[in-house]
Amino acid sequence: MPERIRHAPLDLEQFKPAKAEIHLIKDECKGCGYCIEFCPKKVLEESDEINARGVHPPKVVDEDKCIICSFCSAVCPDFAIFVVEKKNKEGK
Amino acid sequence: MSESKESKPRQDGQIRIGVYVCHCGLNIAGSVDCGEVAKFAATLPNVVLAQDNRYTCSDQGQAGIKKDIQEQKLNRVVVASCSPRLHEPTFRKACEDAGLNKYLFEMANIREHCSWVHLYDKEAATEKAKDLVKMAVAKVALLEPEDEVSVPITRKALVIGGGVAGIQAALDLADTGYKVYLVEKEPSIGGMMARIDKTFPTMDCSICILAPKMSDAGHHPNIELLTNSEVAEVKGYIGNFHVKVLRKPRYVTKDCSACGECVKVCPIVAPNEFDVGLAVRHGVYTPFAQAVPSTYIIDMSLCLNKEGVIVCDKCTKACERQAISFEMKPVTEELEVGTIIVATGADVFDPSVLPNYGYGKIANVITTLEFERLINAGGPSGGHLIRPSDKQIPKRVAFVQCVGSRSARSGRLYCSNVCCMNTIKDSLLIKEHWPDTEIYVFYVDIRAYGKGFEDLYKRARNAGVVFIRGLPAEIVEDKKTHNVWLIGENTLRKEVYRISADMAILSIGLEARKDSETIQRLLTLSRNQDGFFLEAHPKLRPVDAATAGVFFAGCAESPKDIKDSVTQASAAAARAGILMAKGQVTVEAITPTLFPEKCKVCGLCVKVCPYNAISLNKDLKRVEIIEAACGGCGTCAAECNFGALTQKHFTDEQIMAQIDAITENEAEKKIVAFCCNWCSYAGADFAGVSRMQYPPNARIIRTMCSGRVAQKFVERAFARGVASVLVSGCHLGDCHYINANYQTQKRVERLWKKMEQNGLDKQRLQLLWASAAEGEKFASKMREMKTIVENVKPEEIEKGKKVFATALEGD
Repeated sequence: MPERIRHAPLDLEQFKPAKAEIHLIKDECKGCGYCIEFCPKKVLEESDEINARGVHPPKVVDEDKCIICSFCSAVCPDFAIFVVEKKNKEGK
Repeated sequence: MSESKESKPRQDGQIRIGVYVCHCGLNIAGSVDCGEVAKFAATLPNVVLAQDNRYTCSDQGQAGIKKDIQEQKLNRVVVASCSPRLHEPTFRKACEDAGLNKYLFEMANIREHCSWVHLYDKEAATEKAKDLVKMAVAKVALLEPEDEVSVPITRKALVIGGGVAGIQAALDLADTGYKVYLVEKEPSIGGMMARIDKTFPTMDCSICILAPKMSDAGHHPNIELLTNSEVAEVKGYIGNFHVKVLRKPRYVTKDCSACGECVKVCPIVAPNEFDVGLAVRHGVYTPFAQAVPSTYIIDMSLCLNKEGVIVCDKCTKACERQAISFEMKPVTEELEVGTIIVATGADVFDPSVLPNYGYGKIANVITTLEFERLINAGGPSGGHLIRPSDKQIPKRVAFVQCVGSRSARSGRLYCSNVCCMNTIKDSLLIKEHWPDTEIYVFYVDIRAYGKGFEDLYKRARNAGVVFIRGLPAEIVEDKKTHNVWLIGENTLRKEVYRISADMAILSIGLEARKDSETIQRLLTLSRNQDGFFLEAHPKLRPVDAATAGVFFAGCAESPKDIKDSVTQASAAAARAGILMAKGQVTVEAITPTLFPEKCKVCGLCVKVCPYNAISLNKDLKRVEIIEAACGGCGTCAAECNFGALTQKHFTDEQIMAQIDAITENEAEKKIVAFCCNWCSYAGADFAGVSRMQYPPNARIIRTMCSGRVAQKFVERAFARGVASVLVSGCHLGDCHYINANYQTQKRVERLWKKMEQNGLDKQRLQLLWASAAEGEKFASKMREMKTIVENVKPEEIEKGKKVFATALEGD
């Protein structure tokens, strides 16, 4: 339907997606960068710090953008990342 | 394959022409002395009978022609009356009934092109009518009997567009017993009607009356629904269209039970287009609850799984029936159909182009389409009319009419037909739910023209809706309250108003689909100046397209309400059904004739043929014509430099004879005008029907396409000393024969160059692109060309005769 959309959806607030909690086990990371590469929402990027294995682990740029698809855990060869839903549903 | 001319039996014996000059009551006789024209006709060569009668098209008139054919042994007939676009089929049939081949009939258009456009100059109109008759007599003497090829019709139909019109047309055809393919580009059929809350004037719930029809269409054994699909290619001709339809993947298979579990887990949200963005939907969704098919769809532009990488499998996991498949690919379906119904609908006007109304900037200015979704119980606000800024129910509402209709400012000059009644209906809906709401309607004219419309209008006024004549000049926002101020002039009371309202609703008009150009190109249709598809005849063939075998239904042809759309859809289905019931159709014998002995196998004709109907057989060193694929434009014949190709019924000799007839006397005062049957000739007809007056200099020669106009025709006209020549056709891109008029342009440019090189005034050759709706454009061209004719000096004409003298060779 070709109409240009001019007004914000009225029910947008009902659709606040679940908040994510991203856990990184930094010292397990070997710096392959798969999680950064494959994240569909580009939540991660390489950090400046150096971990125990001497590589740059990822860091979380914007946790709010995460939609908990957990693809990062699936592709991580070292089981160094996982995502859970934030328990406290009341707010941030 | 086309046979050579030698094998065709020539009409034996002497040519005996009968000429009938019609009075058409006073339509012609009012400004043309028909008796004198008939007397003049009797003096023309080969004419054995010439008479004038009041109504030649009447049963009596036709019976007279039939009798004369048999008793007077007429073997050619000329009727000088109205446009051949109107009555040529009538008289052709009369000839046929009397045993005369219908291709031995010719018409002189002395009504649309003469009496109606020269109402106040009887002398000049009579002279022009004589010339037109002379041209027709000259041509008819050279006409030959032709046999029409008959083609079988595939008994299947394609309906493009699944709105209410498309659904109705598909159902009617399917019930008649024909297989129907219903193609819809959106994921569900239903179209605009599915988005509307109530219908006027009965106030029925729109989706409640549409949903059963949608469901019928979805389940009908003769209907194959192709949703989320677009027509990609149409080849062929009436009865034998080969259509390619691109089916975009849904990523959800038919196993979907529409349980909605996938939607709950999809992490993506986006505005739902169905609700004009006023509600959200997920990446996997169904546009609305009653969608047909009910199968969900995944919006790949939003889904996280791109290029085969499955990043998110939440929906897949949630789907019990495992109906989600990211493996689906676009599929091209090839269909064979006999008829096509175009029911592509209309778009709504986008009022953000009118800055004075502030749509898109002021929160509480919405459109009527947004209103429909708000007032709909299934809509984003659950049927509560709320204003966007604070989600409160408004106490004062203003409707602004004619937004994107009847105004030069919006570029939409036409009336959109539905907005007045829609607003009246909307105002009553508000009154029904919240009776205390104050409602103002700002209008230009209220057009309550249909059955039950006036009653509804009266009901609205009795309910207290205030109608104020005069559109607001601007709408401004109160920054604190977000209320709107409407400022303008009440043209009935001649005073300025300044009215505050909680929200303003812009009653937006309908406009042609932005992608109508694609459909136009695929089916070689014409459109009017407003962008809607043009019917073959505005009165008598209102649902037929100019392309044979194609019909219109609904708003694609012009803005109309639901009732009219449904009526037209049934009409279109009936028209298509007639063709399919017959099972075969004859193709007009206007295909090319090849003279192999003259052909140099240069291949120019192959290049210019828009239908790929001519091919070069390199092994046999010859050109081959596939007659069934030929559209009949004649541009191949115009392109051939060796006279090896000509178009049946529009041969070089016949057109040359018409040119010679025009230029026989007083050529220096005349214009030879070539008009294509579909656009410019129809445009000239339209000028006549509208009684637009223009100077009587021009003599129109009808060709099927402007692409038929060979350079030698123009050269011949100048060599015979004509003052000016007009070549006219459909607008570039609108050609009835795909793109043949680009060849016209090339030829005219070549001629201009030649004229310039030889020191001739190239103004004398004019090129005009005019659509069938542009009568005024044609008329003003005639006025413009009159001054050209008056300014051409005798020396200039003599020079033209010399430059193009070679065009007279072969006489």
